[in-house]
Amino acid sequence: MSGLRYVYAVCRPFGTPLPRQLTGVGGVPPKQLVHHGLVAVVGQVPEEDFAEQPLRAHLEDLDWLGTTARAHQNVIDALTVVTSPLPLRLATVFRDDSGVRAMIEQREETFLRTLDRLDGRVEWGVKVYSESTETSGEPEASVDTGARPAPSPGKTGSGRDYLRQRRNQRKESEEKWERAEQFSRRLHESLSGYAEDTRIHAPQNAALSRAPGRNILNAAYLVPRAESEAFVELVDRTKDDAPGLRVELTGPWAAYSFSGEDA
Amino acid sequence: MSGEAPKKAGAGRSRLDLEPDTVERDLIKLVLTVVELLRQLMERQAVRRFDTGDLSEDQEERIGLTLMLLDDRMAELRDRYGLRPEDLNLDLGPLGPLLPRE
Amino acid sequence: MTVVERREVALVDLLDRLLAGGVVITGDLTLRIADVDLVRIDLNALISSVNENVPAPWEEML
Repeated sequence: MSGLRYVYAVCRPFGTPLPRQLTGVGGVPPKQLVHHGLVAVVGQVPEEDFAEQPLRAHLEDLDWLGTTARAHQNVIDALTVVTSPLPLRLATVFRDDSGVRAMIEQREETFLRTLDRLDGRVEWGVKVYSESTETSGEPEASVDTGARPAPSPGKTGSGRDYLRQRRNQRKESEEKWERAEQFSRRLHESLSGYAEDTRIHAPQNAALSRAPGRNILNAAYLVPRAESEAFVELVDRTKDDAPGLRVELTGPWAAYSFSGEDA
Repeated sequence: MSGEAPKKAGAGRSRLDLEPDTVERDLIKLVLTVVELLRQLMERQAVRRFDTGDLSEDQEERIGLTLMLLDDRMAELRDRYGLRPEDLNLDLGPLGPLLPRE
Repeated sequence: MTVVERREVALVDLLDRLLAGGVVITGDLTLRIADVDLVRIDLNALISSVNENVPAPWEEML
């Protein structure tokens, strides 16, 4: 088999076969490479795209990145149905099968330990957004003072009016922020009760997500499969708790946020 | 800033179009971002002092007018270079954005 | 009104996990023709807007 080896995940041997028509990166069906009692899920990829130079270039192309990420996730999703895979970072590529085997040997203990920890668990992502204020019907401005006050003619008192308006806007903004934080804190606390482990991530990049509003909470929760339904219901129940806030749930994911060695 | 628009496709517009000149536009963005940062800081200071009653009526009026004019001027400059308010920001990586997003 | 939305996975959610989550096979290894090695991914080469956790290539901005 020529070409390079793209490794999606490492898992314990699982009985249920993967769907026959499952494809991954490059439209290629993944195969299982078994070594030392561990399974590496591997796909063959062309060298002209995945050697260091072309790969580096591709990784700066958001379109290519998006296509590859979705194809990659397709495989991880299929794995998550039948097992609790240890997902690898995007574009972990080896020269050939022996390279993959060497990697497994090198990290055998860590893999076994992590797989034990993650067995039977999935990750749920919860984000809280503060909806944008529409005080003057303008789209949200980048400055924290909210919409700009309408330009005033230069009469006496207009300078003070401006300050007053700005002051009121800031107060409103601060109160909104406080409410959002309080809500997020309470939500995180109650969700943590159902989760074995949690991670708070940095607020998501607004430019990339183009999600309206400001991301207040961006958290991941490690939940045993058996608890997932209750977890989702709990998130659903928060929908009436806070006006002006939006809660987004994603999942179930493989335990991306909990795969690290320091986890 | 010269009054001559660069010759290129669609150069019939009277407004200076800096679109193709990324380096210059990036510099302008950077400069305006810094100015915007200062403007926000000053405004925040002024509002705080206004709130605590630290200023005389006359000071409030003068400072308020100055800030208002500054705000208008920033809007003009943004418009001139086709920049939206959210364009004036810097991503400091792990430190987050320079200016608050809202 | 707060709304819980479970929509089709947004690219940003995907990239956040695939680029910053999961196991990193570390070691300063680059692809060598003769050997069994890894492709090193320099995440810093990505536009910094892709992931806030990735330090911005500060030098490139100025």
